[in-house]
Amino acid sequence: MLTRTDIATPTSLPAEKPVVQLDGVTKRFGEAIALHEAWLKIVPGEFMTLLGPSGCGKTTLLNLIAGFLDADGGEIFIDGILVTETPAHKREIGIVFQNYALFPHMTVANNIAYGLKTRGIGADEIKRRVDEALALVKLDGFGDRKPRQLSGGQQQRVALARALVIRPKVLLLDEPFSALDKNLRASMQIELKEIQQRLGVTTIFVTHDQGEALSMSDRIAVMSAGRIRQIAAPQDIYRRPQDRFVASFIGDANVLKGKLSAVTDAVAQVTVGSLSVEVPAAPLAGLAAGADVDLFVRPEHLVPVDGDGGPAAPSLAGTVRTQVFQGGHVDLYIDLGEHAAQPVLLRSSAALAPSKWQTGDVVRVRPVSADLVAFPKQDG
Amino acid sequence: MKQRPFIGWFVSPAALVALGLAAAMAAILQYSVRAYVPGSLDVGGLTLENFTALLRPLYAWAFWGTILLCLLTATFTLFLAYPVAYALVRVRSKALKSFILIASVTPLFLGEVVRTYSWMIVLGNNGFINSVLKSLGIIDRPLQMMFTTPGVVAALVHVTMPIMVIMLAAGLSHIDRNYEKAAESLGASPVRCFLTVTLPLSMPGIVAGFSTAFAWTFSAFATPQLIGGGKVNTVSTLVYQLGFASFNFPFAASLSLAGLVMTFAVIALMKRAMRPVERLGEQ
Amino acid sequence: MPFSMRKSPLALAGILLVAIILGFVMLPAIVVTITAFNDKAILAFPPQSYSWRWFARALSYGDFQKGFWNGLIVTAWASTIALIVGSGFALALHRYAFSLKSTLEAVLLSPLVIPHFTIGLGLLILSAQLTVGRGFPLVVLAHVILVLPFVLRSVFISLQNLDGRLELAASSLGASPRRVLFTVTLPLLVPGLVSGWLFAAILSFNEFTATLFVSNQATQTLPVAMYNYVREYADPTLAALSVIYIVVTALLLTLANLFFGLGKILNVDAH
Repeated sequence: MLTRTDIATPTSLPAEKPVVQLDGVTKRFGEAIALHEAWLKIVPGEFMTLLGPSGCGKTTLLNLIAGFLDADGGEIFIDGILVTETPAHKREIGIVFQNYALFPHMTVANNIAYGLKTRGIGADEIKRRVDEALALVKLDGFGDRKPRQLSGGQQQRVALARALVIRPKVLLLDEPFSALDKNLRASMQIELKEIQQRLGVTTIFVTHDQGEALSMSDRIAVMSAGRIRQIAAPQDIYRRPQDRFVASFIGDANVLKGKLSAVTDAVAQVTVGSLSVEVPAAPLAGLAAGADVDLFVRPEHLVPVDGDGGPAAPSLAGTVRTQVFQGGHVDLYIDLGEHAAQPVLLRSSAALAPSKWQTGDVVRVRPVSADLVAFPKQDG
Repeated sequence: MKQRPFIGWFVSPAALVALGLAAAMAAILQYSVRAYVPGSLDVGGLTLENFTALLRPLYAWAFWGTILLCLLTATFTLFLAYPVAYALVRVRSKALKSFILIASVTPLFLGEVVRTYSWMIVLGNNGFINSVLKSLGIIDRPLQMMFTTPGVVAALVHVTMPIMVIMLAAGLSHIDRNYEKAAESLGASPVRCFLTVTLPLSMPGIVAGFSTAFAWTFSAFATPQLIGGGKVNTVSTLVYQLGFASFNFPFAASLSLAGLVMTFAVIALMKRAMRPVERLGEQ
Repeated sequence: MPFSMRKSPLALAGILLVAIILGFVMLPAIVVTITAFNDKAILAFPPQSYSWRWFARALSYGDFQKGFWNGLIVTAWASTIALIVGSGFALALHRYAFSLKSTLEAVLLSPLVIPHFTIGLGLLILSAQLTVGRGFPLVVLAHVILVLPFVLRSVFISLQNLDGRLELAASSLGASPRRVLFTVTLPLLVPGLVSGWLFAAILSFNEFTATLFVSNQATQTLPVAMYNYVREYADPTLAALSVIYIVVTALLLTLANLFFGLGKILNVDAH
């Protein structure tokens, strides 16, 4: 089981030299702490996502790595070199902004060439590398256009080419998809991931969209209120959230009112009504048997029990409150009475519903997964 | 950013200009407490006489008259400029917008002398207005408009119109139209909507425009000098006469200083007085 | 509401009102134009016969010619200095925090409310105290002080409309602060700089009251020469000169509107 200290150095991490390393980096804006002692190691070629709601400190963290902000505490290393005091233009990082920030007074080719010119590279070499970069993002022949003559997707490719052409030590992406419409977004995500893997460029991606984060990342750092809450692979973040915030921010979660019945080193027993389930003990550290806990159950891990309920399967009785047709499935909201403060959500195949249940029907449900977690009961 | 590249290059020239201005103001302050030596450009010892002289009827009345003139001008300007600014911001046609903008802003760049001269032709005894009225048979003797306060006010309103339009339009253009739509959808009549939504929201522009119009009128010299023709005394015309006719620079300095203090005081007062109006929308 | 699509009586009254007010604004220009073509030397309306002779006199009158060239010298220096000083300070205001920032800003913007005669008188006394003559440098200083707020405003608005991420992108690509300034910031500020300079130049060329205090016979600018003329003569020469003024100014403003969008420069267009 993971412990608190493991957050900073997960055991799953290969023993390579990190490309980016943050040692207790802190940033304040006046009285407010925007980032509280961030510890982070990013290995070569890794796609690391900083995920969290707006104001969680993820953009601050990105700006600190880029050198646009100065840290109030802690150290930042890029490629093993201490860069805490290094100005942005000497850090050798590539960045793609939310609005792309293409220079409106330069052609596409000159935008891409900008970083090469600052490095004093010869004209022939610049031309070759610009053409190469344009080909990489499938924009051959667009070099002479001005940014405003391009579509949103094309502008993003130019921004990516401009950031990659300087062969940065690390690529920073600041919500790059938020300005694109839904269909384009999906195809750009696949393309970006492809390019990233082909070049093997270490990437830090900032987003508030958990779908993007789960589908693209090697690892995700979930942030909230200026703190990194958990760093882990997408599956682990989803299945084994380490704290209450992560559990409720990533994916949907039903919260059941349970009681801690027994604790061992690794595993704890939680009972809800006649149900008894096993959860990891770590998040409940310090609680004694009999304490109130909140049991988190994903909607897809909650299933209806047919008939009167078989003798082998203990379950909870509830009343169907609302059904919401979602196309491929139906969202069923079930009132569990004393066992949950809010009606719980479960997903049923659209083929069964709505004929199978009517609003007001009594239905029995039970959780069917090993991936359940519980946290100390929260007041209110 | 911790580093502030070029800050010295950016700030020091401006600091030099500010220093020049501050030195000029200090010079006025210094002269205002020095004695006048008739027939000489040099000044005497320290004295408060220049300030007690301000209380003499001629100057006290001129001061009072100038304040009234400024308030009158700023008020008329506000009422004339508001509809123009509103039209400028709300009119849909681009060509019409450009026309309104250029027509209302051009006078700003003509300078006081050209504008004042134009008004002399409009207001003169053989001028435009009198000629039109005479040919229409409304009057047979010319109306006296030159050398009168209304004449001066008309010309001054014309001087302060452009800046007032710009400041009001700047304020109005930043008001989200949906506020008005929301008010109308809630049943407010256009007049009520204007009084309870648009007007309070445009208050910052009104305060800024009114203060500026006040200050500019106070600053005007050619208009009261030429159209007032010595019959309408203002602080500016008196300062000029004291300086260049009697070479009494100490007294000119104290008069200027008093005017400056008064300008700042009136502007500060105005901002306070207009605060209740900003709360109109809450009732 | 004067300009809604439905032409209600209220809207029509609004349109009429605006038209009348614009008539008031343009009346003097129209009247002065008609007067300029008056053949007679007496100011009278309407003119009995018409001619171009006052234009010829306005262009050949010695004081006006001298004033025009003086004005050009003062304007060129003052607007250029104001542009450099103002853009630098606008950049500092926009980017940095520094000590006395708001004090300095308040002082530099104060000429918007300090009467011009006060500034003129102050500089005149200062020059007497320092025993420097009333030469061009004094006139230029007065003009720089007076037009600086307008340059500052124009450049600062352009800076606010400039996306700061462009500068960040440039520095992330390895550009030094100097390179960012010259390849990204300044090129993108060009419209604001040009319009700021143009504003400064027009205002400086027309400045009268302060100039009257700080100039002498040798440095007097065109507005001062015009003021002196109108106190002595009452013929339409000045009307002719005014017409030239109005035409040139309206032309410059129309050009500025075409190239830069006057509405944006004056900040009366929402973005």
